[in-house]
Amino acid sequence: MIKISHVNKQYVLDADNIFHALTDVSIEIKDKEFVSIIGQSGSGKSTLMHIIGLLDKPTSGQVIVNDQDVSKLDDDKISLLRNDFVGFVFQQFNLINKLTVLENVMLPSIYSRKKLDFNPLEKANELLKRFGLEEKIKSYPNKLSGGQQQRVAIARALIMGPKLILADEPTGNLDSKSGEIVLSLIRDLNHKEKITVIVVTHDMNVAKQAGRIIKIKDGKIEK
Amino acid sequence: MNYFLFIITSAYSDLMRNKARTFLTTLGIVIGVASVVLLQAFGLGLKAYIQGQFDSLGTNLIFVLPGSMFRSGSSGFSPGSIGTLISFDEKDLNNLKRASYAETVVPSTMKSSKVDAQGKNEYATVYGTSEEIFPTRNLELSNGIFFSKSDVNKRAKVAVIGSKIAEKIFGQSEFALDQKINVDKISFKIIGVLKSKGGGGFGGPDFDNYIYIPYKTAFLVNDKKSFSNFIIKSVSSERISDLKNETDKILLKRYKEDDFSVAESKEILNTVESIFAMLNMVLIAIGAVSLVVGGIGIMNIMYVSVTERIREIGIRRAMGALEKDILFQFLSESILLSLLGGVLGLLLSFLIVLILRIFFPAYIDLNSMLMAIFVSSAIGVGFGVFPARSAAKLLPIEAIRYE
Repeated sequence: MIKISHVNKQYVLDADNIFHALTDVSIEIKDKEFVSIIGQSGSGKSTLMHIIGLLDKPTSGQVIVNDQDVSKLDDDKISLLRNDFVGFVFQQFNLINKLTVLENVMLPSIYSRKKLDFNPLEKANELLKRFGLEEKIKSYPNKLSGGQQQRVAIARALIMGPKLILADEPTGNLDSKSGEIVLSLIRDLNHKEKITVIVVTHDMNVAKQAGRIIKIKDGKIEK
Repeated sequence: MNYFLFIITSAYSDLMRNKARTFLTTLGIVIGVASVVLLQAFGLGLKAYIQGQFDSLGTNLIFVLPGSMFRSGSSGFSPGSIGTLISFDEKDLNNLKRASYAETVVPSTMKSSKVDAQGKNEYATVYGTSEEIFPTRNLELSNGIFFSKSDVNKRAKVAVIGSKIAEKIFGQSEFALDQKINVDKISFKIIGVLKSKGGGGFGGPDFDNYIYIPYKTAFLVNDKKSFSNFIIKSVSSERISDLKNETDKILLKRYKEDDFSVAESKEILNTVESIFAMLNMVLIAIGAVSLVVGGIGIMNIMYVSVTERIREIGIRRAMGALEKDILFQFLSESILLSLLGGVLGLLLSFLIVLILRIFFPAYIDLNSMLMAIFVSSAIGVGFGVFPARSAAKLLPIEAIRYE
């Protein structure tokens, strides 16, 4: 489902100072897999996640997502693939504070160009109810606790029925109890709904939830 | 939710979140639109006013004037139109009277003079003419009689005066009858007082301040014995162009083509209007400068708004928004902003025109309304497109990481 071959990512800091965020990274993630990518901060794990999530492009190498070579897609096609295929869960939640919880959850459906086989409003309500947030649909995200915000973000990630959930340190900003709830939700998405899940983390306790752990250090995959 | 509705409502709620800023930003457009619409309203009012004045002069008239300014096909001011002008004389009058399509040929010699009566001094326009002026210009009496052909021929010292000058000197127009009035040291007997024609006050001719005297009497003090123009009434409206050709032919025997103009009142009206229209255009162009300044204000605030919302843009992009979705979001915000300014500016000008109408016949027509709306939307697009493009071109990954 996702195949990354010999990917390099470099940042030119100044004329004679190039930062190698990723060096010759090749990984393959199969459908319905639950994978965690673990590494220290600065190891390149977030860069890798952004490349998998189509938010960033590699300097070189091939990225194949959903059988499509990403380097051959223009910005619009990549955006639509992101809209349709990937659901993001960020450490910072990344909800839009001026939109209500319900509007935040519905946001990806607004930007969809395909004919939806569901009613976004109904589905958003359903998801929020399932995550115990039915009382909060009219609230604004900054009035919610961290755990509640992250559950809103998960609902938003699920609205388009994605094949892939990408979670970047999903428990990083949460207390252990909320973190536990969020983690079990994410685990259920893989176990019960058979959605492919990639969790990026520095925390071994989080990483070991996954079926497979990929270790990354200094921009390279450790065998 | 409908995509467009979503974009528009979110643009609206974004603007309303920062009411003071929104108001101050639109103020530039409000002032710009109001000044342009008001200047247009003035132009329209002035046009209507001039039109009204010409209509009151009488119909089926042509005018013979010195200089080529009002010549058909002339574009208003031209090098030949200014300079020394010829003046007409009695020989021209007699020649013109032979024109077969002329019903009346009225000569006139005009002069602004200080007149005095009963120890009062006033300025009036002294109009030396023939008895035919009265029917030609549809002048009506409120008291007394018009002077006659024989009054003209025997150089009678009689005057028919306008209602305004009569009131100024004699208090009430009926008191003026049979009184003496001194014009250029000649004492005239007032034999008639005219009904008010209206007009004057805006630099146009104030017909009620005219004193009509027989032209032969006027020649007593006019050394050159000359006329400044002729008014010729056509036998019918169908014959106006024939009359013009005839008149032209007669005058060309004595004068060069550029020395005089033969024009219908319509043509004079057009010339006067085109001069005013040009002046109005210049004023509107100056007003439009404030619109540009307003547009720059919108551009500025849109750039600020983009910078403030880089992270939001990143989130939207991560959720699958296309570049054009972001472009459209910011563009609709700037359009809404300037359209709001346009509507407020229009309302403001309505209010001002409502008050001004007490003094001046200004009015706002549908064209200016549509133009205000169109121009302000165009400003929203024109000045919003660069900030919106800068928002759309942000890289998703950099935007979402922006602190």
